[in-house]
Amino acid sequence: MSDLLANLYLGFGVALSLKNLGLCFVGCMVGTLIGVLPGVGPIATIAMLLPITFGIDPTGALIMLAGIYYGAQYGGSTTSILVNIPGEATSVVTCLDGHQMARQGRAGVALGIAAIGSFFAGCVSTIFIAAIGVPLSKVAQLFGPAEYFSLMVMGLVFATVLARGSVLKAICMILLGLLFATVGTDLVTGQERLTLGIQDLSDGIDFAPMAMGMFGFAEIIKNLENVETRDVVQQKIGRLMPNLEEYKQSAWPIIRGTVVGGILGILPGNGAVLGPFASYTLEKKLAKDPSRFGKGAIEGVAGPESANNAGAQTAFIPLLTLGIPPNAVMALMVGAMTIHGIVPGPQVMTKNPELFWGMVASMWVGNAMLVIINLPLIGMWVSLLKVPYRLMFPAIGIFCCIGIYSINNSVNDVVSTAAFSIFGYALVKFGFEPAPMLLGFVLGKLMEEKLRQAMILSRGSFMTFVERPLSAALLAVALIMLIVAVLPSIRAKRDVVFVED
Amino acid sequence: MSDQTHSGRGGAKGVLRSSQDFAAGLFLIFIALFALYLGWKLPMGTLRSMGPGMLPISLAFMVGAGGAALVAMSLTTDGEKLTRWSVRGLFFIVASILVFAYTVQTMGLIVAGPASMLVAMMASEDIKWVEGIIFCVLMTVLCSLMFKTLLGLPIPINNLW
Repeated sequence: MSDLLANLYLGFGVALSLKNLGLCFVGCMVGTLIGVLPGVGPIATIAMLLPITFGIDPTGALIMLAGIYYGAQYGGSTTSILVNIPGEATSVVTCLDGHQMARQGRAGVALGIAAIGSFFAGCVSTIFIAAIGVPLSKVAQLFGPAEYFSLMVMGLVFATVLARGSVLKAICMILLGLLFATVGTDLVTGQERLTLGIQDLSDGIDFAPMAMGMFGFAEIIKNLENVETRDVVQQKIGRLMPNLEEYKQSAWPIIRGTVVGGILGILPGNGAVLGPFASYTLEKKLAKDPSRFGKGAIEGVAGPESANNAGAQTAFIPLLTLGIPPNAVMALMVGAMTIHGIVPGPQVMTKNPELFWGMVASMWVGNAMLVIINLPLIGMWVSLLKVPYRLMFPAIGIFCCIGIYSINNSVNDVVSTAAFSIFGYALVKFGFEPAPMLLGFVLGKLMEEKLRQAMILSRGSFMTFVERPLSAALLAVALIMLIVAVLPSIRAKRDVVFVED
Repeated sequence: MSDQTHSGRGGAKGVLRSSQDFAAGLFLIFIALFALYLGWKLPMGTLRSMGPGMLPISLAFMVGAGGAALVAMSLTTDGEKLTRWSVRGLFFIVASILVFAYTVQTMGLIVAGPASMLVAMMASEDIKWVEGIIFCVLMTVLCSLMFKTLLGLPIPINNLW
């Protein structure tokens, strides 16, 4: 306990320095600004804004990136409530009741409770990360290559189960992501693989252009297909602070949402996506009058938003303790850390304690800042959202181009972004979800490394994965999840959860 | 677009019961074959010491198998139909990225910005030229101020003179 306090003290010492406060503020600000744009989720936002953190020291850079991440999350919720366009999967649920509240002239309260719920969730998960970080990184030391490999298999299986639509298609996407990850120089022999003789590909496919093409530009092309029907709320925003009655209604949903979202967020394989859905379903089940949901029930905003934010934060746990990015956003964080010469994993905590605890503390600071800076700025976001799409998408495009170019000052990166835009659009047309592919790609290199190590240690026997108890347990969980997902009765329920929008 | 919208569940005619799954499967098979063509010479190694080819080749087979399963499913199970591609959107958006790529280093953002945004605008049917041109100029100024002056990115602004 005293260790925890000492660590947090150290962290807050770092996070509350004037410079880091400033970086956190700028991060939250630009993150929200970009995240508010319809169709731009946290992945595209972070890829776009990654380069602005390059000139800063590692700790400052990660604090700023974390700020951008929370800002993008919060911006996405704002758009969901005001315009009914979810920026990403996790804010779909917020649209349901949040937008209804906005139409009833209670947009302010919806945004207010979202901010307060997120702040509460942020506080709890910051303490949670601080408390669980040290023990988990000890567990990480028990992990051999076989355990790491099995853990990542489990993550990928979760990603399949959590993806929308066909399980078969999600599995195909993961395999495709893994295949893409093998492009480049072989880790052991140094031989070039599948590079088409292109020099740039010998280091492998770059993640940022891929993510930007598939999530930024493919999204724009998709949106252009439909005639725009954006209905920015015309009603007044109303007061921001919920009244006592509304606080009472939201208190338990916020607490339950935080617990549900926080626990799901730790799961490798983007468990954070499930948080808001789970929380919404739970609140609807527990409600005295479930029919209010979908018609502007404040619990339907408070719970899922808290779950969303709790999950967004606890998703850092696998990255910081095991070095495994659980989703595409965290993979971009890995990229940012690598640029600053930090290898994510359990050693970060011991080798760079200021960085680790500073970042944990800055999570809390960032959440507090969002409440303070965003609520007064709602008017600005509303007017930004009234800009017609015909002007908005070229602006989003130019931001993306500048961002991608600036990562390496490379024209080739921009060209490969163009290629991935076509690829991403094709995937959309074929009914594939891009998210599982990105996760497969992100984990691919590490999985191959661990697989090869494990096979050397086991002298070529696959039995090692089931003989080692920890590894066997992880694989068993993965298998159960997969069976559950394919069972017809549960499949039907899973479809219902995702169709609820 | 009327009969091509995505709500094409059920009532399919002919052999194909989901043209989307069919095309998706062929797409994966094509990628798998291409990867195999590129990688078939890579040494596989043994399970005990895997060579560089082990994973790419096995993954390519798995992707191909997934594609084949999708094709098979498209013949037996009803599913979505393939919807029309928005060629106009795709073409102009991709073109705008390429315009940016090939002008930014040589001429700077002063050309790359407006040129790329104007090309992008043509992707939409809802295009207003005067408004668009003013917007492009303003956005370029704003981007220069924001990314170069304020955030200090090393992006070339003006390489013309």
